[in-house]
Amino acid sequence: MRAGAIALALPLVFALAGCGRLPGSKAEADSPARPEDVLDFHTLYNTNCQACHGADGHNGPAMELGNPEYQALVDDATLRKWISGGMPGTEMPAFAQSAGGMLTDAQITAIIAGMRKEWSKPNVFAGAAPPPYAQDQTGDVQRGQQTYQARCASCHEKPSRQQVTSPAYLTLVGDQALRTIIIAGRSDIGQPDWAHDNPKGAPGASLSAQDVTDIVTYLGSLRSPAAVSAAPLPISPRRRP
Amino acid sequence: MPGMKQTGKRIYDWFEQRLQVEDPIKDAVLHKVPRNTASWWYVFGSAAFTLLMLQIVTGILLALVYVPSAAEAWNSLNILNHQVPLGWFLRAVHGWGSNFMVAVVFIHMAQVFLFGAYKFPRELTWTVGVFLLLMTLGMAFTGQVLRFDQDAYWGLGIGVFILSRVPWMGGGLVHLLLGGPTIAGATLSRFFALHVFVIPGTLLFLALVHVWMVIKLGINEWPMPGRLVRKSTYIAEYNQLTHEDGIPFVPGAFWKDLIFSAAVLAAVGVCAAVFGPSGPGGQPDPSITQTVPKPDFPFLWIYAVLSYLPPSMETPFILIAPIVMIAGLLAVPFVASEGEKSWHRRPVAVLALATIAVGWGVFTHLAMSTPWSPHMSAWSADTLPVEYLREATPLVRQGAVIFQAKQCRNCHSIGGHGGERGPALDAVATRMTPDQMRYKVVTGGGNMPAYGKNLSPAEIEALVSFLETLHPKGEPPAFDASQQAAQSNAVPAGGSNTP
Repeated sequence: MRAGAIALALPLVFALAGCGRLPGSKAEADSPARPEDVLDFHTLYNTNCQACHGADGHNGPAMELGNPEYQALVDDATLRKWISGGMPGTEMPAFAQSAGGMLTDAQITAIIAGMRKEWSKPNVFAGAAPPPYAQDQTGDVQRGQQTYQARCASCHEKPSRQQVTSPAYLTLVGDQALRTIIIAGRSDIGQPDWAHDNPKGAPGASLSAQDVTDIVTYLGSLRSPAAVSAAPLPISPRRRP
Repeated sequence: MPGMKQTGKRIYDWFEQRLQVEDPIKDAVLHKVPRNTASWWYVFGSAAFTLLMLQIVTGILLALVYVPSAAEAWNSLNILNHQVPLGWFLRAVHGWGSNFMVAVVFIHMAQVFLFGAYKFPRELTWTVGVFLLLMTLGMAFTGQVLRFDQDAYWGLGIGVFILSRVPWMGGGLVHLLLGGPTIAGATLSRFFALHVFVIPGTLLFLALVHVWMVIKLGINEWPMPGRLVRKSTYIAEYNQLTHEDGIPFVPGAFWKDLIFSAAVLAAVGVCAAVFGPSGPGGQPDPSITQTVPKPDFPFLWIYAVLSYLPPSMETPFILIAPIVMIAGLLAVPFVASEGEKSWHRRPVAVLALATIAVGWGVFTHLAMSTPWSPHMSAWSADTLPVEYLREATPLVRQGAVIFQAKQCRNCHSIGGHGGERGPALDAVATRMTPDQMRYKVVTGGGNMPAYGKNLSPAEIEALVSFLETLHPKGEPPAFDASQQAAQSNAVPAGGSNTP
């Protein structure tokens, strides 16, 4: 009886004295850090980015950050610029404390490093050179329209897809965002990159840097906030007091 | 051996001759109680006392390490959690002991109320019990403050805001409690003094008075329908009952108290080992705004009630309700000091208790989910269900970005994530036509702010085109019948008129 009680009690005492074995014991890492001291990439990404960019960088409504081609296309300085100060012409807000956001420079560095570590892949373009990232030249609208009709319209002019030329859409997406998505594509929703512009991503003739610049310039010419704001405000569907 | 026994007896006698406590203890231990009060229903009071002892012991041990200063308290709690061997367990036992004590005290009170045990001659026992309840809650609140983290900081802030609304002397009271106009150096010293000396001293004294009266007046007999309490006859009836059908308190009733107290202590130990100590949460720094502070469970219901009150009702409620509640509790034994004890014949009492219990439960539950509060990080942290965007056009995707970036998600949930202040929008397209959505977004209405000036026409178009896609598969979106009829008249026969 007594031996039994000791046999029962001993493991309990050891478990308690060993502290760290019982589920209730607290690890140092469980202590909540000050918000600005959080430097873990996953915590930062999951609380600040994933609502728009998708869990694990995929399937969000905004740019697919988990696309290795995107990661290869954009350099650190540019990423830092967009994260810190926001991206003009889009909904991407400024996250740096210096711009009214909540993140320190160290946290932004941690996010960039984390994205690189998680989502970058070596030699993702397989030797091919993609068009340059920045849309810093103005292309030719006429040529852009022709290229669009030849290379993009077969999918984007289908009834359910045609809104890529809708003024409302283009008003909300800047030239740079259009360029990035034409070059890098969206692997998560089956949208091809610049080199695989056939349906289903089958290899086709790559778009040249000039083609991309021209298409973006053409789409930009369709952007017309005035056309959107001309839409009348709906009349009250119900009578209101 | 016999020599040792004799020595022991001599020492005992030496003390007994001087202290003379044997007879009173024997009286207390062996006094007769009605046989049917040796029930499992009568174990909560002793369990509360046991928990008080546990709190005193664990509290003394915690005080050996804890530093009651605003600068050091949070660190000393972390030292207890991480560096002192079993410090985390000690904190957990004290914290869970507190939770159990509050719960057991409330259950004890409900049982006493239901059994009519507050009636003559036990009115004062109840009255002292009410103050014991207030002291217990006072311990819970001051203890929450000593666990100096964000919850403590903001909880104390709300506590002193409540206090500050007392007419004329509110400011002075706050100053007295905080040791200054703000939560600062002297604040924790004051709460340490309250939590460690003032309240427990009073609590222990009142608890002993309470137990003294229980022993002197006898344990309440099991209530029987039709056996009425009359001041003129009760004492004689009770004495007769204990005389004819009584058993000595020890061991007749006491063994159940022992077993239940032991079970409660074991439960505290298991909860402490499994769930661990509470906090400390984030640092108590008012410059950290990314926090959703909540009070500990005894005060959650107050948090919910205050959140639901319209602002104009706050001050009257804060000033009047506690007085009404405490006065009501104190009045119970004087309003109904005679009559029926059995719950079978006291429908008002039973209904009152049930109403209070259900109300308490509902408000506590609401306080845990805080449906009135926007989720301030939902816009950047809560993802949209992947299937909602699988077929999305570019404009719809852009609308989803607007939905997140403009923080609609903070009040409206999608896929079960997001705020609950506004309705969930998973099936909004079945309830509203695109025009109705546009109107609502632009002009607001009800709880919904007007976003007309904060969204460009393109943003509204994108947003509505996203909302239009939110309907379950197989359930068509809402449409405007008159518009459809007008369109079908305008379009020649054979033309499509799907919305």
